[in-house]
Amino acid sequence: MSREASVNEPTQILTEDEAIELFTFLLTSARSQLDDPCEYASMRLLSAAEDLRDRVIDRVSPETRALLRQTVEATTFAQTHTNDLEAYTSTLDELCTQTARFLVGRFGGNRDG
Amino acid sequence: MADAMLELIRSRRVVRVMTDEPVAREDIEKILDAGRWAPVGGNLRTVRFVAVQDPTTLKLLRMVSPGMFQRPSAAIVLCLDLDVLEAERVTGTDPTPLFDIGTTLQTMLLAAHALGLGAGPVSSCAWAAVREVLALPPNLDPRMIVCIGHAAPPGEQLPMHAKRVTWNDLTHWERFERPPQEPEDG
Repeated sequence: MSREASVNEPTQILTEDEAIELFTFLLTSARSQLDDPCEYASMRLLSAAEDLRDRVIDRVSPETRALLRQTVEATTFAQTHTNDLEAYTSTLDELCTQTARFLVGRFGGNRDG
Repeated sequence: MADAMLELIRSRRVVRVMTDEPVAREDIEKILDAGRWAPVGGNLRTVRFVAVQDPTTLKLLRMVSPGMFQRPSAAIVLCLDLDVLEAERVTGTDPTPLFDIGTTLQTMLLAAHALGLGAGPVSSCAWAAVREVLALPPNLDPRMIVCIGHAAPPGEQLPMHAKRVTWNDLTHWERFERPPQEPEDG
């Protein structure tokens, strides 16, 4: 699927119920986070990212699917190493780098200047 | 009996991955009964239980509880009864009711484990939403959810990498000795 086609097609990749569930998770996390240890905020956002990925992975373009598949192992590792801040941080850095590379490839970007 | 009890305490784990096998009502009642026997401050019985088995209610409960990784077959919501606290003049600064929640929680976790079930506590919730989902009356203040189900095999559990500690690492015998004080000048 080309970038133009995917952007312009009104494709719904979450069902209404799934969207409500994700919306509720983020909203209730915003509230519960006020009482929780601050490092939980990162974990909640990662959980939401995993949830979104798992829901859409079979409905997106092959290129996006490949990116999402690549992240599975790393996010699982990160979620189980939240008490090792160094490992957790470097895993998230790697995931962010990987995703940024994908974004540059998908949306373009002037890497020369 | 002592060995069996100690082994039960040692072998209990927080279960974060559960199968979809239902939990028998009879077992939930046994866990509730165990909770009733938990030691509480002043024997005031400030904790009330809301037991949930309905799949839709469980789903909604999970949706408003970001810390609930489990998909439990049952849940018990531990609430403080504000009417009892007020009647007994327990003020908001008194931590005892929260200790009551803790002792009740642990007793229920052990009871679930003794019954061969998995259980795990959840406190990361949007409590206002929990109140709405359960249609709680104003005097019940939800503080903790005990998720109950059948534990998935160990290989499917979320691995925890907490550093192992022994009781010895956590304990200091008798009183702490103060370091010798330097004589004051002058």
